[in-house]
Amino acid sequence: MAMSKYDLTPRIAPNLDRHLVFPLLEFTQERELYPNDQILKAKIELLNNTNMVDYAMDIHKSLYHTEDVPQDMVDRRVEVVARLKSLEEAAAPLVTFLQNPNAVQELRADKQYNLQMLNERYQIGPEQIEALYQYAKFQFECGNYSGAADYLYQYRALCTNAERSLSALWGKLAAEILMQNWDIALDELNRLKEIIDSKNFASSLNQVQSRIWLMHWSLFIFFNHDNGRTQIIDLFNQDKYLNAIQTNAPHLLRYLATAFIVNKKRRPQFKEFIKVIQQEQHLFSDPITEFLACVYVNFDFDGAQKKMKECEDVIMNDPFLGKRVEESNYTVVPLKDEFLENARLFIFETYCRIHERIDVGVLAEKLNLNYEDAERWILNLIRTSKLDAKINTQTGTVVMEPNHPNVYEQLIDHTKGLSGRTYKLVSQLLEHAQAQAAR
Amino acid sequence: MASKFWSNQADSETESDVSDHEEDYENEGQDDANVPDPNKYRIGDSDSDDSEVKRVVKPLKDKRFEELSMTIEQMKNAMKINDWVSLQESFDKINRQLEKVMRVTESDRAPNSYIKALVMLEDFLNQAMGNKEAKRKMSSSNAKAMNAMRQKLKKNNKMYEDLISKCRENPESFKDQEEADEDDVDDGFSSVSTEPSIEDTLSDVDVIDVNQLVWTTMMNKKDKLIEKQFKDPSQVTWDTVNKKYKEVRAARGRKGTGKLEPVEQLTFLTKVAKTPAQKLQILFTLVSAQFDVNPGLNGHMPINVWKKCVQNMLVILDILEQYPNILVDDTVEPDENETEKGTDYNETIRIRGNLSAFLEMIDAEFFKSLQCIDPHTRDYVERLQDEPLFFVLAQNVQSYLERVGDHKAAAKAALKLVELVYYKPQEVYGAMRNMADQSDDNIEESRTESKAFVNTPEVVPRKPSFPTSSRELMDMLVSFIYAHGDERTKARAMLCDIYHRAVSDEFSTARDLLLMSHLQDSVQHMDISTQTLFNRSMAQLGLCAFRAGLISEGHGCLSELYSGGRVKELLAQGVSQSRYHEKTPEQELLEKRRQLPYHMHINLELLESVHLICAMLLEVPNMAANIHDARRKVISKTLRRLLEINNRQTFTGPPENVRDHIMAATRALSKGDFQTSFNVINSLDVWKLLKNRESVLEMLKNKIKEEALRTYLFTYSSSFESLKLEQLSKMFDLSESQTHCVVSKMMINEELHASWDQPTRCIVFREAEHSRLQALAFQLTEKLLVLAESNERATEARFGGGGGGLESLSSRRREGQDYASVAGGSKWQDNMSYSQGRQQSGYGGGRSYGPGQSYQNRADQSRGGYQSTRYGGLEARGGQMDGSNRMVSLNRATRV
Repeated sequence: MAMSKYDLTPRIAPNLDRHLVFPLLEFTQERELYPNDQILKAKIELLNNTNMVDYAMDIHKSLYHTEDVPQDMVDRRVEVVARLKSLEEAAAPLVTFLQNPNAVQELRADKQYNLQMLNERYQIGPEQIEALYQYAKFQFECGNYSGAADYLYQYRALCTNAERSLSALWGKLAAEILMQNWDIALDELNRLKEIIDSKNFASSLNQVQSRIWLMHWSLFIFFNHDNGRTQIIDLFNQDKYLNAIQTNAPHLLRYLATAFIVNKKRRPQFKEFIKVIQQEQHLFSDPITEFLACVYVNFDFDGAQKKMKECEDVIMNDPFLGKRVEESNYTVVPLKDEFLENARLFIFETYCRIHERIDVGVLAEKLNLNYEDAERWILNLIRTSKLDAKINTQTGTVVMEPNHPNVYEQLIDHTKGLSGRTYKLVSQLLEHAQAQAAR
Repeated sequence: MASKFWSNQADSETESDVSDHEEDYENEGQDDANVPDPNKYRIGDSDSDDSEVKRVVKPLKDKRFEELSMTIEQMKNAMKINDWVSLQESFDKINRQLEKVMRVTESDRAPNSYIKALVMLEDFLNQAMGNKEAKRKMSSSNAKAMNAMRQKLKKNNKMYEDLISKCRENPESFKDQEEADEDDVDDGFSSVSTEPSIEDTLSDVDVIDVNQLVWTTMMNKKDKLIEKQFKDPSQVTWDTVNKKYKEVRAARGRKGTGKLEPVEQLTFLTKVAKTPAQKLQILFTLVSAQFDVNPGLNGHMPINVWKKCVQNMLVILDILEQYPNILVDDTVEPDENETEKGTDYNETIRIRGNLSAFLEMIDAEFFKSLQCIDPHTRDYVERLQDEPLFFVLAQNVQSYLERVGDHKAAAKAALKLVELVYYKPQEVYGAMRNMADQSDDNIEESRTESKAFVNTPEVVPRKPSFPTSSRELMDMLVSFIYAHGDERTKARAMLCDIYHRAVSDEFSTARDLLLMSHLQDSVQHMDISTQTLFNRSMAQLGLCAFRAGLISEGHGCLSELYSGGRVKELLAQGVSQSRYHEKTPEQELLEKRRQLPYHMHINLELLESVHLICAMLLEVPNMAANIHDARRKVISKTLRRLLEINNRQTFTGPPENVRDHIMAATRALSKGDFQTSFNVINSLDVWKLLKNRESVLEMLKNKIKEEALRTYLFTYSSSFESLKLEQLSKMFDLSESQTHCVVSKMMINEELHASWDQPTRCIVFREAEHSRLQALAFQLTEKLLVLAESNERATEARFGGGGGGLESLSSRRREGQDYASVAGGSKWQDNMSYSQGRQQSGYGGGRSYGPGQSYQNRADQSRGGYQSTRYGGLEARGGQMDGSNRMVSLNRATRV
C-alpha cells in the first residue's frame, strides 16, 4: 500500500458530509489506492444512512456480482419512497406557491412581512415552512442536489430560526459543491464564514469545529475555482483558522503548504508558515511539508530534491491536488507541473543565496534537469531579471553578483523616515498650539 | 503518697513563687561566692517558714536530700511560668547539690528524685522546643537561656542515660523505689510525713498528677462499665447504643477528655451498633475522632491510627455499597432517629458526613507523615508502602461518589489518585503495582473483624486496580477530571498531566498542553501548592526538552527557575539559606509545611547541570558573535554572572561541583575545544540518573560540536579569506553535510558574512567592515534617530499624545533603556523558542478548557510564552531576589 501511504482520505472524511465523501472515494477508486472491494464496501457503508438506495443496490450488485439485493435494502427503498411522498405533501402548499412566479413577486425583503403575508393569504404557517426544510433535506439525501439547493435557498429567505438557517446554509453549500457550481459555492462559503466568525458560538470548541469543517469543505472549491489558490491562503492563514488547523486538523497543512509553494506572491506570510510547519512536525508531516523544512530549515538540498520526487506522488494521489484536466487527447495534472516548477525555483533561490559560484552541472542535478535545460532555465531567470548572476561558460559555472546592501542606500534607508516623523511632529505641535490659541 | 516527700516544701514554695525573680537574682550573685551551701542564704532571706527550718533538725544526709528536692520544686515553678533563666540556674544548682548528696549517701547511683527531675526537664524542654509559637514570644534572654539549657541537659543526660530510660519505661517503679528510698532516708523522722495538711499543700503539679491517675482509673472503670452494659448482646438495643454514642460524642473535645479515649469507645460501639445506619454514623464520628489524635499542626497522625482510619473508611464504603438507600450528606442535619431504621427499611436514610473531606484529611496526614519522617530511614520506606492502601481507598471513594452522582467530589478523589501517580515514571509505577499485588495478604489479616451485630461483608475491593501503564491510568483519571472537576482540580490535573508527559518524554504533547491551558497566565492567582506544582512541571518539561535535544526550549523552561537563585523554594524541596534577610519563624514554619516528601523530589543537581549546559550551548556562540559589545544580547544572565565570578579567580582548581564543571566546559567551548568541553561534562555523575544516558550524551556531544563550530567561525572568520568545508568538518569531527547545514544556516541568518564557492567547496568570507567614514555616518544616523524619538516622546509627554499613548511610550522607553541589553535576547527568544503567540491563542479557543481565554493580539503573545527574559533581566540587575513575574514567587505569597 505504498501509494496510499500519504492518502489523507481517512483523516479528511470525518469532517465532510456523507455526500461529499463520494468524490473522494471515486478518486481513490480511480487511482487504485485501495482494493476495489474495500472501496465499494465503504461506499455502501456511506450510503446506508442516505436515501440513495438505488445507488447502493447497484454497488451491491457489482461488489458481489449478483442480481440479488438484500431484503433490508428493498425495505428501505419502500420506506424512503413513502417518506418522500408524505414530505412532499406536507410541503406542497409552499412549493406550489414558490413555483408561481407571480406569487413569488409579492415577497419583499422584510421577513416579518413575508411571513404574515403567507399566513394570511395562502394559509402557509410555520409548519409548512418547516416542512419545506425537511423536504429539502430529504431531497438532498436522495441525491437531488439541485432541488435541495433551490428549496434551501428559499427556506433561508423565510426562516427565522438562526440555528436552522445555519444548517440550511451548510446544506446549500454541500449541494452547490456537489453540483460543482464553484462560484455560487464560494459565495455560500463566504457567507458561512461570516456567520461562524461573527456569531457568538455556544462554546469555542464548537466554533473551532465549525471552522475545521468549513476548511475541509472549502478544499473542493479552492482547488477547482480559478482564484482558489490565493483564497485558500487568505482563509487558512488567518490566525483563527491556522489555530484551528494546528489544534485539530494538522493534515490541512499539506494544502496550505502546496498553496504557498504554488503561489509566488505570498512571501511575507511564508516565513511565519515555515515556523508553523516546524512546530507541528511531530503532529503531521508529509513530503510537501518536509520539502519546505529541507529547503528553509535544514538547508539540505539533496534531501529537498528527494522530497520533490515524493511530492509528485503525493500530488498525483491527492483528490484535491491531483485534479486532472483533459487537454486535447492527453490528461495533465496542472497543479503538479506548477508545483514542481515552483519547488525548483525555491531550491534554486535559497541555494543561490548562500553561494557565490555554482557549477551548472551540479545545479542541473539538483533541479532534476539535464545540463542544457538547466542552462536554459538559468538563462531565462537571468533574462527576466529574477536572478542577479552571470554564466561563465568557460568554467561552466554560474557566478552570483555580489548582493551586499550598498552603504549609501543603507544610510538613506535609515534616514528616510526621519523627515516624515519630524514633519508629523511639527504639525502635531502646530495643531496643539492652534487649539490652545483658539481656547 | 507520691508527693509526701515534697510536702514540707510547699509553704516556702508559695512564698517563693512571688519573689522568685528577685530571689534568683540574688542567688546568682551569691552562688558563685558561696558554693558549699547556697541555700543557706536563701532560707535566711525568706521571711516566713522559719519555724519549719528551725523545728526539725535533720541529719546531713537528709538535709541534702531536702535541698535537692527544694531545688526541684523551684524548677517546677520556673517551668510553670516558663522562666528559663531561673530554670537554668536551678539546674546548675541541682547539679552541685547532687554531688553533695552523692558524697553523703556514698552511693554511685543518682537519687531517683534527681532522675525524675531530669526526665521532667527533658519532657518540658522538648515540648517547649516543639512549640515554636511560644518560643518566638520569649524574650531574647529567656530564649538564650533555653538554648543553653538544652545543650547542658543533653550533655548532662548522657551520664544518666540508662536510668532515664528506665524511668521512662516504668515511672511507677521509680516512684515506689523513691518512696522506699525515702523511707530509708526518712527513717525515724516521721514528723515530716505527718505534716497536717498534706492535701492542701499539694503543689499544682501534683494535683494534676493525681488527677490523671484518678482519671485513668475512672476511664478503666468506665470502659468496664460499657463492657458490662453491652455484655449481653440480647439486651443491647438501638436506644442504649444511641445514648452511649451521644454521650461519647458530647464528651469529645471537652477539657479533660483524652484523645484516644473516644476512639476506643467508639470502636467498641461500632461492634455493637444495631443498624447499618447507626454503625455508619458511629464510624463517621470515629473517623473524625481519629483525626483528633493528631498531636498538632506540625506533627502527623500516628501511623497505626492512620491505618485504622483507612480501614474504617473502607468499612464505611462497604456499608454504603451494601445499602444503597443510605445517603451521605453534609448539608442537612438529619433526623435524630434516622439511624433507627434497620436493614429492612427501604426508603433513603440520610447520614451526616463528607467522604471527600475525609479522604482529603487522610491524604494530608499521609503527606505530612512523609514530610516528617527522615527519608533515609527504613520507616520512610515502610511508610511509602502504604501508598497502595491509600490508593485503594481513593479509588473506592471515587467510584462511590461517581455512582452517587457527585461528580465534583469524585473528580477531587480522582485528583488524589493523579497526584499519587503523576511523578512516577513507568518503572516506579510498575514497582508500586507489583508491591500492591503482593502486600495484599497482611491487609486482609488485619481486617478480620471480631463478630459484630451488623456484619459488613467486604463489598468494596481491597486491592487497587492498576492498569498496566501509568499513562493509561492518567488518561482515564485526567479526562474524568476535565469533564467534571472545578477550576482548581482541573488546573492541578492538567499540571500533573504535563509533568507526567514530560517524565515519559512526550515533550511536544506536554508543551501543547501547557500552552493550550494558558496556565502560565493564571497560575499567579492560584494557591501556593499549585504554584509549586507548576514550577515542578516546568522543571520537568525543561529536563524533557533537554533529553529530546531541544536546547533553547529547555533553557526557556529552566532559566526562570534559576533567575532568582531560589530554586529550592520554588520547587518546595528544601530551604536555601539567604544571607540577606532573616525569616520569621512563621515563614519558616510555613515553608516547612510546604516541603514535598523526599521521594517526589526532582534532582537539583541534574536540574542545575541541565540548565547550565543549555545556557552554555546558547551563550558561548552568542558571546563570540557579539564580542565587541558584550552587553548586548544576553541569553543567560546566570551563566554570565558565574563566568564573571569564575574569571575573577586567580587560580582555578579542578572542578568540584556542577558549576565548576560547567564553567570549565564553557571555557573550553569558547576556545572551540569541543573534546575537553564534552569530557568535563561527561564526568558529571548526574548522568547516571538518566534513563537513556547514552543517547542523551551522544546528542550532547553533537550539540557541543556544532556550537564549537559556530563559536570558531564567529571568532576567527575575520582572519580567513576562505575555509575549506572538508577541513572544517574534520576539525570538529562533524559530517560534511552537517557542517554544511550549520554554516548555511549562519549565512542565511546573516550571522556570517560569507558564501559558498560550490566548485571548490569553500567558504569565502567577505569583507563586511565599514570604512571609518561610513561607520561614523551610521553613528550619526543612529543619534539622529534617538533625537527624533526623544522629541516625539517629549511632545507626547507634554500634550498627552492621546489615549494611553503616554503610558505606552514611557514603558517603551523604560524598556529601551533598561532592557537595552536584554531586548536582543528576548527578540531572539521570540524567534527561536516556542513562545509562539499564535499557537497558544489558538489552543485557548480550541479546547473547552479555559474557554474564557480570548484571542490576544500579537504583541501580547510574543511575550505570552513562559519566557520573560526581560523581567528576569531587570531583577537580576536590581539585585532583588523576587521571583520574576512569570515564575511563581513564594516570597510574595507568604507576605500576603
